[in-house]
Parts: sequence; C-alpha cells; structure tokens
Amino acid sequence: MSAPVSEPESRLNAAWAYQPRAGFYDEMLTAKGEIRPHWQALVDALNHIGPSGLAERWQEGRRVIHDNGVTYNVYGDPQSTERPWPLDPLPFQIEKTEWAAIESAISQRALLLNYILKDLYGPQKLLKEGRIPAELILGHPGFLRPCAGVSPPGDIWLHSYSADIARSPDGNWWVLADRTQAPSGSGYALENRLVSLRVLPDVFRAGNVQRLAPFFQAYKDTLRALAPKRENPRIVLLTPGPFNETWFEHAFLARYLGFTLVEGDDLTVRNNNVYLKTLGGLLPVDVIVRRQDDNFCDPLELRGDSMLGVPGLVQAVWSGNVAVANALGSGLVESSGLAAFLPALSKHVLGEDLRMPNIATWWCGHEAARLQVEERLAHLVIKPATPAHSFEPIFGARLGPKQRELLIRKIRSNPGAYVAQEQVSLSTVPVARDGQLEARHLVLRVFAVASGAAYAVMPGGLTRITSSLDSLVVSMQHGGGSKDTWVLADAPEPPFSLLRRASGPLPVSRATFDLPSRVADNLFWLGRYLERFETAVRAVRVVLPRLYLDPDASTERQLTACRNILAGGGWVKAAEGERLTEAEVLSAITDSTVRTSLRASAKEIRRVARLLRDRISTDAWRVLKQLDKQFTGELPPEALRNSWAQELLDNSMISLAAFSGLATENMTRGHGWRFLDMGRRLERAVQTVQLIRRGLDFESEPTDAELSNILEIADSTLTYRSRYLNSMQMDLVLDLLLLDEGNPRSAAFQLSKLRKHVDRLPESHPPSGTPREARLALKLLTSVQLAETEELVKLSYLDELTAKMEEDLGLLSDTISRVYFTHQLRSQARL
Amino acid sequence: MKKVDTMHVQTTHTTTYLYSDSVSICHTEVHLAPRECPHQRLISHELRISPEPAFTTSRRDYFGNEITIFSIQEAHETLSITAHSEIELLPEEPPAGGLTPPWEEVVEAVRGTKTEELFRAAEFSYPSPFVKPSPACEAYGRESFTKGRPILEAGLDLCHRIFRDFKYDPRATTISTPVEEVLEKRSGVCQDFAHLMITCVRSLGLPARYISGYLRSNEKTLGGEASHAWCSIYCPEFGWLEFDPTNDVMPNCNHVTIAHGRDYSDVAPVRGVALGGGEQIVNVAVQVLPPAATASGSTSRAD
Repeated sequence: MSAPVSEPESRLNAAWAYQPRAGFYDEMLTAKGEIRPHWQALVDALNHIGPSGLAERWQEGRRVIHDNGVTYNVYGDPQSTERPWPLDPLPFQIEKTEWAAIESAISQRALLLNYILKDLYGPQKLLKEGRIPAELILGHPGFLRPCAGVSPPGDIWLHSYSADIARSPDGNWWVLADRTQAPSGSGYALENRLVSLRVLPDVFRAGNVQRLAPFFQAYKDTLRALAPKRENPRIVLLTPGPFNETWFEHAFLARYLGFTLVEGDDLTVRNNNVYLKTLGGLLPVDVIVRRQDDNFCDPLELRGDSMLGVPGLVQAVWSGNVAVANALGSGLVESSGLAAFLPALSKHVLGEDLRMPNIATWWCGHEAARLQVEERLAHLVIKPATPAHSFEPIFGARLGPKQRELLIRKIRSNPGAYVAQEQVSLSTVPVARDGQLEARHLVLRVFAVASGAAYAVMPGGLTRITSSLDSLVVSMQHGGGSKDTWVLADAPEPPFSLLRRASGPLPVSRATFDLPSRVADNLFWLGRYLERFETAVRAVRVVLPRLYLDPDASTERQLTACRNILAGGGWVKAAEGERLTEAEVLSAITDSTVRTSLRASAKEIRRVARLLRDRISTDAWRVLKQLDKQFTGELPPEALRNSWAQELLDNSMISLAAFSGLATENMTRGHGWRFLDMGRRLERAVQTVQLIRRGLDFESEPTDAELSNILEIADSTLTYRSRYLNSMQMDLVLDLLLLDEGNPRSAAFQLSKLRKHVDRLPESHPPSGTPREARLALKLLTSVQLAETEELVKLSYLDELTAKMEEDLGLLSDTISRVYFTHQLRSQARL
Repeated sequence: MKKVDTMHVQTTHTTTYLYSDSVSICHTEVHLAPRECPHQRLISHELRISPEPAFTTSRRDYFGNEITIFSIQEAHETLSITAHSEIELLPEEPPAGGLTPPWEEVVEAVRGTKTEELFRAAEFSYPSPFVKPSPACEAYGRESFTKGRPILEAGLDLCHRIFRDFKYDPRATTISTPVEEVLEKRSGVCQDFAHLMITCVRSLGLPARYISGYLRSNEKTLGGEASHAWCSIYCPEFGWLEFDPTNDVMPNCNHVTIAHGRDYSDVAPVRGVALGGGEQIVNVAVQVLPPAATASGSTSRAD
C-alpha cells in the first residue's frame, strides 16, 4: 500500500495493513488497489473507527454470540462438541445489480432441480431419453423407491434450496454445490445479521441493506399453503436432536418461525395421519419441516435401522394427510454427478441456458469424460459422484505421479462413482485479525424458498470463509468462519417483522406452543435440578463461615450436623468423626470430577436447558449460561479462597433468583410452566424434608445451633425471628419449615402448590377413580395439614412423619414420570 | 419353448410374533401376495391378521409387487399374520443354453438402455443395500462367465458351483451377514446364495433380480416350510432367466413367486416396527400343497 494515493479519503488506512494475494479476485480492492465503490461506506467507517474502535465494537458482537448461545457442533470431539459460532465482524458487501443476477440464477436453478425431481419420481423421461445417466439415479441410495409415484402438493419437492457459489479471478460467479436435502445455514445467516446490526448499526442504516425477514415470511406462507384445508395448520420442525451439527439452528428457526420443535419420537402415525404426542393427547400435524436426511424419516419403509424416524410416515405422505418439506426423496439431486448434466438439462427443460454456470464437472461414468479427466487430473478435484461413495475431495495438483496412477486405477474400477471438477481460485475478502485486515477465501451460500410457482431468494446469505489463505476448503468442521452478507439497495427498506403480517385475521390462540412429553420431562427435571442446586448453594454458604469458629463442644456438634447435611446431599464425603475441612467444602463447589459438585451441577443445568432452547427465553438462557460460567474459573490463591467462595455463592443466588423471576413473570401459564414449577416445588419439598432429617441428630434433643443451621439453609431465619425473636424452640422451627402453608419455603407450601398443579394436569385416564398422582399429592398435603405442632418435639413422631413424606414424594415423582414422560423402546423386526 | 401342463397349488404362510411385554402400537408392511408373472397366475389371495388391525391399506410398490401396510393400535402380546393363496403355475421349458447370446453382448445391450425394457433391466445392474459388487465376487463369477460363453450356460454353471461349493447351514449366517463373508465361509441359506449369485453377475455388469417365494418341497429340494429365495438374470429376447442356487435348478413347476426386487431389502415378506414388546419370538410356517392333497414332502430344511 505504498503507492502514491490520489484520493486519500477513499483509501483504506495503512494501519489496517490489508494485502490481498495476487492472482485472486479481491472483493474489496481492484487489481490496482482501489476500493470497489460498494465497499466505500464500510471502508470509510473502518477508517473512522480504527482498529481499536472495531475491537471495542466487536466485544459487543462476541457478547451477543455468547449470550445468545449461538453454537454449532463438531463431530468427533469428545471434550465438548459445542463450539461458539465463528463470525467475522466485517460483513461481505454485494452491490444490488450483481445481486439481481445471482438471485435470478439461483431461483432458476431451484426451479430446474424441482422439475428434475418431479420427473425422476414420476415418469423418468429424463432417464429414458438418456439426458441423465440411469446409473447416477437408479444406482443412487438417495433414490427412495417407496416415494416414487407420490405427488406432493403443488408438485413442489424443494420447498427450500441452497447453493454454494464462488467467484473466480475473472470476476464471474460459479455454482460449486447444491443443497436439496435439508439445506442448513439460513438460521445462522439470520443470527449473523442480528450480530452485525449491533456491531455496525450506523453503516447498516446508511447502506440501505436489504432485510431478511420477508424471505422467512415467504417460507412460512409456502409451508402454510401445504395444508390448505386448515386455517391454522400445525407445522413442526423435525430435528435429529441436540447432537446434530446444526442443532442450534433448528431450535433458533423453530422459535423464530413459531413451529414446534420435535424429534421423531414426539410424532406418531395413527390411521394414516401424523400426530404430535403432547401432554394433552395426540394433536394432528399438517406439515413437517424436516432437518434430517429423508432416508432416516421412516424406519418402516426407508432405512430400517433409523432410530430417528416416524414409522408409517411414508404411507401417511402417500395418502396426502401430511406434507413433508423438503419432500421425502429430494436429497437425490444433491449430487455432484448430476451437476455435469445440468447445463444441457436447463436448455431441454427450461429452454434457456443456466444463468450461472456450474463449476466445470465431468462424470467419469462416461468414457469420453473419464479419458479427459485422466489427462487433466493435475488440474482437477476428484469428488464422489453421489453420497453413496463418500470420501474427502482429492486435489489432483497435490498428488505425485505414483498416487495419480493409483487414483486413475481406482476410478477405472468403478468410474460411475467419481466426478472431477475444475478447481476454482476462490475470491478473497478481508477479515479482521488482531487489529489488521487479512485476506481469506470465501464461498457464499445462497438460500431460496418456493414461493408460488417460482422461488424467492434470501437477499444475503451465509458467507463462509476459509481458515487460512492457503486453505481451499470452506468448512465449519475444519475451522472456517462466517460473515454476514449485505446486499446494498438504493433506497431505505421499510422495517419488517414476522409478527406484523398475516394474510387474514388469525383466530385468537391462548396456547402458544404444543408441549411434547419429552419437553415436559426436560422442564420438570430442569426445575428439580435448579432447586437442588439452590439448596446446595445455601447449604455451603451457611456452612462455610462455621468452619472458622473457635473449636468447642457446641461448634463441634454444629459442624457434625453440617457434615451430615453436606454428605447427605452428596456434596462431600461422609467420614464419621472428622472435622469438616475447608478443602472439602471448596471441592463441593469447584471439583468437576465430583458428580454432584456445584460446578458439575451448573453444567448439568445448562445441558438440560440447552435441550429446551426453543422453550425458554433468551434472557433466561443467558442467566443459566452465566451461572455455569461463574463456576468455570480457576481457584484463587489460598488466602483469598474463603471470600472468593462467598462471593461466588452470592452471585449464584442472584442468578437463580433472576431465573425464577423470569420464569414467574414471563412464562405463559401453560403446561410447560406447570411442569417446570412442579419440578421446583417437588424438589424443594424433598430438600426441606431431607434437611430436617440430616440436620438434626435424632438420638438426642436438637441444639440451638442445629436448629439455626436448618432455619438458615431453608432461608426462614428472618421469618422465624420476626415471630419468635431469638429464642430457638424445636416445635416452632419445625412448624415453620414443615407445616406452615404461609411460609413459601415450607414443605406445606410446596405441597399445596403441587396439589393444585397435579389437579390441573391433563387427565391421565386411569381405568377408574382418581389418578394415582392426584391421590399421592392429596395424601402428602393432608399429612402436613393433620400433623400436630406440639407432637413435633417427639423425635420418633418427627422421624415417622418425615420418612413417610420422603417416600411419598419419591412415589409422586415416579408416578408423574410414568404417566406423562414414558418413552417406550421401539423394537424392529424383519423377516 | 415347450409348454408343460399347468398345475394348481395352495400356499399358507403364517408368521407369529410372541412378545414378552405388551406392544402398544405396531406398524407392519408385508409382501405376501404372489404377483402375476408370465409363468404364474394368482387365483385367490387372502390375508388374515390377528388382532384385527385398526388400519390397512395396499398399494403396488416400485417394482409392481403388492404391499400391504397395516397398524395395530391396541395393546397386544401376540401378532399373527396368515396369507392363503391359490396359484396356477404355467411351467415353461427353459431354452437350450447354447441359443442364448454371449454374456458380454447382454452387458453391452443393457448399458445402452435403448428400449424401455432394457432401461428397466438396467436398474438391476447397480449396487443395492445387500448387493455390493466386489473384486472377490467378480473373480468367483468369472470362473463361470468365461469369454464369449452363452449367458444361460454361464448362469447354470455359476448356479451349479454355488450349490457344489457352499454348505447349506442355517446357523452360519443371519439376515445381516454380508455377501463377502458368505463367500469366505462357504456356507449360508437360500437368501445368502441368491445374494451371492446376484453380486457375482452384477459385478460383471449384468442385471440380476432377487426373487422371494415358496418352494414345493420334495425329497430332493431345500428351502420349503419357510419362505424361499432365488434369483434371475436378464437376457434380451429370452427375458428373465431364473436360477435357484440353493437347489441347483432353474425353477420350473416347483417355485411360487411372491415378489421380486433388487435384493431382500425390497421384498422382505414381513417387516415391522413395534413400540414396546421387549423380547420377541418369531415363528414362521409355510405350507405348499396341491389342492386337496396331502403334505408333499418332509426333508426340506427351514430357511
């Protein structure tokens, strides 16, 4: 950048040190080093804010990514499969006329592929006329024969489609690959937009960047139209589950689009209709948006080894009772081999040339093509022709003569399995690295959705960048990154939100989401884990200062009680007679190898909360992430540990209170909230009863110290003092903790709430009489209502009462689980 | 081709599942109705299912076989499926081996897919779930498919070699044993032998089909009293030539065809997914009788 500068204000400041590599098309700079006009606004902004300004703004961006829990999963990483989403702060800029050309090319291609699918699953004229080699289709494991002959509504097979495109050194765009199975990335593109809006709001507004929301609205409209008979069709998003690479996106899109997120087990086929299993019974499903591969969708007619599918789904599709988007079988055209024939197919089918060429592709199953490939191998990339033959791309240029010979022999033995593609010199784009700009290669994923008889293209897309300038593979699995994509318009775009538009008046709906049993199960346990965690925090917080008291007989007895409480909860080891040590208590907090330590429990809470990403608000999720994060730090030097631990425990209590507040104030009082709250109430009752059983020595009269221990851990000291001042009296303490329905920490309070919840559950349909869970809840409540306060001083009475309560609470939890959460194992057979 | 006298047979095929735990819902797909083909006519077919399914439907599958799909939505501990069929067999004398073209010509013709028939046949020359062409299978096949040999002669030779080289042993393999392993172990059952023969000829580029059906058993044949499986190879003008490598014969008047497909996975007689059930015991019984006749044989081994 040392060349003389004619218009200094239109140049990138030297501080950014941007040096694109010669021989590639750079998106921002021309070959002469001039700024391309549509990047000028971003460059001006960069010059204005400078490296430190960008770093500062990017802090905010990273915070949003972290707080929103934007992640993707890396397969085969035993440590932690969940990675934060890698995003670069500088959006990729595209000018609007160039975008118009991309848009028209992508919608043309989607239309063509949809036509091909319709033919291949129907008359197969394209095969019979030899326009597509039969081997590529009929030998393709993605050709789902049970789906041949089905006509999906409106003849739409591809409801959504995406293409990876790249720019070569001459400035032209090429299609690298098609995604027709269950295209992923549109949710990440949307999330990228949310982040870049926070980082560069001023530049965004000035650039009149086109909005993404109308694209998603078009998708919703198309999906709704698949169930024309229903005014408010039930649409579900089918995910393979939390271990899928793009699980975050499934949960995110389900929330954004207002669909119920389901796994295969949440659905069932009855009488040829698909139903969602909810607490309230079976609810009919009209449209399934699938984010799992089609051959896994029905273990009856498709892959029999699939544990993810819905048995009977194919027949339900045949009968027209449910629509699947993309249609079952549409993964077939996601094949590099087919790309070789698309230019000719476009002419034949649409009567026009492809508006954006494929990257030059040869299918080796044709002898002439194979001979060319063998000759030019050094310049080509060898890829599998269909997903049936899966292997990593082989770059001919990187092979020695011997390896090349071997590869040729392999190709000759099964030519139909291979395609060769020209290698593209991907264009470059600046990314921010350590206060400077560096060049990286980019591939743009563009998204289209069916809209009427055509396809609507998302104005923007997911820009993916290589991990280094030397890498030619763009892959999140291999350390690549992403960028937001800005399509710049002339005039400001009107604001748009998914909630604003409806084609007609919608009926009032009080139930926002259907609640699958699996979700109810997770909410119930989230409630229990949170409450258990809270008790542990309170217990440790009360015990910690007692460690530093002067040793005397009463302190010793108090510490023994403390050990019993902590050991009973599994937070420290039970070792009779030994004085509880600081190290032991600290390990209850931070030792991740102890299954029940606070640190491990916080992680577990986060894990369960993650399964509920589409059910709990972003704020609530942030609170739980924060809770987990508080425990991940290193231990401070010994002298500071006590105060460090106290602060950590105090902060955890604040996080827990924040979560409860959000749940109380913001969650709709549906079954979801009910199960979360039931979990909490049940666990709090259990914890209170166990606290009494562990904190008191049932051999002799409890001491004041023991009573004050349990009062404090049960957070009822203030209430007690306001009533009885400082005099500790056993029956009064126990009355407050067990029997007083007015004390929100008492067992009686929890049992009264539990009983109300249980009464409002959807009926569990016992053959006769009152359901078991209702009888148990009533029995528990009655046992505290009928107990005599004066009797509580008798240790044997107290022992019997609390033991019975503990047992019945366990039974109640088991009964609720059995009635509402049962997941039966599936057995499969073939003869 | 000389016509032989027609013959009537009645078949009864019963599949019973006994579950250790109750099954709350099951979805089942069956390929049990004998299809129409040049050498057989279906006179009657009846499917009895107990308990009574809540839902039943039938359609033709991709290969033209009839499939029935049913679901039982009440709790049950046993499931029994019985198919009764009456079939007229129209046996045909196989052509003389020497009249058929050299096998390489068939490979060429199929590769060209010039006619609808050749195009349809070509579909059976590609790999399928149970049939993965391999160098070992190709080598085994080439010993019979020598240069320029008429396809029927070569097919009969391969059929004979499998019969001679392989031991019939129901304990040697399961449904999921790969063909490669069958080739190595030199033992298996009719399904394995059919898959092996198909893999050998597909490795050479020839179209081959898997056929599921029944065998009228007698002292000399294996595979009765259970469902049977064999295969066929396509030859232009002669159609699909059938071979039963388990018994070293070209099926004539003893084989009843139920369905054909690329391999077992396309035509499994019964497949199902049940919720619950625990452990299960499955019993299969097949009877093939001439009308109003007594049991026709006793030496066959379960398949």
